[in-house]
Amino acid sequence: MTDIDRWLETNTYHHGQFWDLKRLIETKESKGLTVSLCIPTLNEEKTIGKEIVILKSELVDRYPLLDEIAVIDSGSTDRTLEVARSFGADTYLSAEILPEWGTRRGKGENLWKAIYQLRGDIIVYVDADIKNIHPRFVYGLVAPLVYRPEVHYVKAFYDRPLADTTGIRPSGGGRVTEILVRPLFSLFFPELTALIQPLSGEYAVRREVLERIPFPIGYGVETSHLIDVYFEWGLEAFAQTDLDRRVHRHQPTRDLGKMAFGILHTFLTRLRARGILPGLPELTPILRQFQFHDGKYEQVIHELHEEERPPMVEVPQYREKRGLPPQEG
Amino acid sequence: MNETAAEELQAAVRELPQRLEGYREMLLANLVMIGEIPAPTFKEQARIEFVKQRFVECGLEQVSSDTAGNGLGILRGRTGRHAILLHAHADTPFPETLPHTLNVEPERVVGPGVADNALGLAAIVTLPTILDNLGISLDNDLVFMASVRSLGRGNLEGLRAFLVTTQLPLLAGLSIEGVPLGRMDYVSQATVGAEITCRVDPEHPVEAGAIPALNQVITQLRAMELPAESQTRLVLGSIAGGTSYKSPALSATLRFQLRGDADPVVDGITEQIVAICDAVARSTGVRVEFDVIARTRAGGLPDDHPLVVRTRHILEGLGIDPLPPTHSSAASVFLEQHIPSITLGVSYGAHRGEPSEYVEIAPMLKGLAQLIGVLQAIDGGCCD
Repeated sequence: MTDIDRWLETNTYHHGQFWDLKRLIETKESKGLTVSLCIPTLNEEKTIGKEIVILKSELVDRYPLLDEIAVIDSGSTDRTLEVARSFGADTYLSAEILPEWGTRRGKGENLWKAIYQLRGDIIVYVDADIKNIHPRFVYGLVAPLVYRPEVHYVKAFYDRPLADTTGIRPSGGGRVTEILVRPLFSLFFPELTALIQPLSGEYAVRREVLERIPFPIGYGVETSHLIDVYFEWGLEAFAQTDLDRRVHRHQPTRDLGKMAFGILHTFLTRLRARGILPGLPELTPILRQFQFHDGKYEQVIHELHEEERPPMVEVPQYREKRGLPPQEG
Repeated sequence: MNETAAEELQAAVRELPQRLEGYREMLLANLVMIGEIPAPTFKEQARIEFVKQRFVECGLEQVSSDTAGNGLGILRGRTGRHAILLHAHADTPFPETLPHTLNVEPERVVGPGVADNALGLAAIVTLPTILDNLGISLDNDLVFMASVRSLGRGNLEGLRAFLVTTQLPLLAGLSIEGVPLGRMDYVSQATVGAEITCRVDPEHPVEAGAIPALNQVITQLRAMELPAESQTRLVLGSIAGGTSYKSPALSATLRFQLRGDADPVVDGITEQIVAICDAVARSTGVRVEFDVIARTRAGGLPDDHPLVVRTRHILEGLGIDPLPPTHSSAASVFLEQHIPSITLGVSYGAHRGEPSEYVEIAPMLKGLAQLIGVLQAIDGGCCD
């Protein structure tokens, strides 16, 4: 049995295995753990209300798994924050967290600032655009961290029914995963291919891991996490949970092109930094796409800067807030 | 219940909406989780299982399904001398294949079946926790029931089967619907819901097809004289037929409801309709089938029944305008067993029966408060 097969057997869960929320909460409390939920948002007024209502009612009031629910917003121009607040979430503007560090635009920025703002020993990130939100999206990810101290990072995957009577069926991620990320992982980090959906936006992570990894602010944040955690803690630090179905917006191919560009940018930068691909030239931030307009083809140029935030543990304000000694040098 | 007790209850109920503030999210969460489980009539089991799981979590006793498939749980009263049935139907008219995604907006919740009857069901699922947390206890047992097979061809089979077979000493029944707040339905009309299908034998097709035959039926139905004194009405509800614009239809179906205040009148007109079907079949050569989908009998509580009077006071005390009573098919089923009952709504809403169906959030707490008040009134003796 290969490492991948063994890992798949021991570290892949279905949310149904964690149905006993009373037991989960007892274990969480006996270990003195706290859990924060971070929902990064940008103009999500249509779905945010439902997420807050369900998760607060079920996982704060009924079963107190979550110690806080926070919405961290990139500057919505709709009623996202008002709706979230009205249903009981703590709401923050990303720009107002660590203002000394300025503001960058991107989901990764919100995830990074959440580490500073939130209190939990475990932070679980859930996207705001899930139409079929259910408590399993949270407890399915948090439970492996509560029960298994050696697990540090739990990823979601979707669309595999618990009882599959049809035998073999392909399981995998979306288009970007299958035509970009998994081939790249196969070439450079074969063990990471065992993660069924490496780009899923839902994951739960221990603070001591989150604070030690850098955060690309754009599309590359999930890929970079996986590589960095893998290098530092190995495959055993990961687990993944099948959350069944996830209904969300379908992205047009053109947007997936931007996503793939950002991921590839981050991936190559990681390879260079770790000495795997030395001599790589400076990477351009320009993505070129084409469209047919008024009888001719024309370029559409996107400038996509994949900036990175440093590990939070290197941020003086964070060290001060957490009572850590100042960093030397 | 004497006047002093009634006044005390009235005063306590007026305070309830404020005390219920903290339960709004719980009600909404239950509403969404229930509403997103498809439950077309005859396929309600997944929704019933969820409701039963909630009943267990609330600490209800004897959580189970009866032989009909209804989900049940009991909250024990101090004496348990009698039982009060709190009932909401679990089924919806929407097929499993329709996406059952509900959206929570700041002022309303939108999605198929949210008003009929996810909200009614959410209310009874949330109520045990509220009663427990607010320290409200009753003398009598409270039986919570999510019933199956209520709509259309279900013909209230779930509720009927429970009432026929139960050994519980039921004092009264409360049926909860999502909308509208202010409804207090305690009368049942004589109704016949039926389907008329005209069929052409494909081996020996009639040139004009099934639609002209159905058209003849409809013309004759509309020409019938309905006795005005018994409030008799014929509602032509839906029509369907054929598969293409270029070939005569092999079948065509009309669904309708006949309703009125008097059982004999409705029975008599039903016989006339059957005769019309036979006549059209003879004159056109098309087979005409008459099939009863659902039937209720006329009856209900008088306007001065203590349950009606007390319920009206409770609604008015909460600032809810009671609506004039309309036909309640559930009341007919309770009536068959001589059990007084009333149907209440939890909130306001619109677009019932459409995927854009919605319920308003703000009135829901008053809706819950009225349920608690009416339960306490029944427990206090207004149905003894």
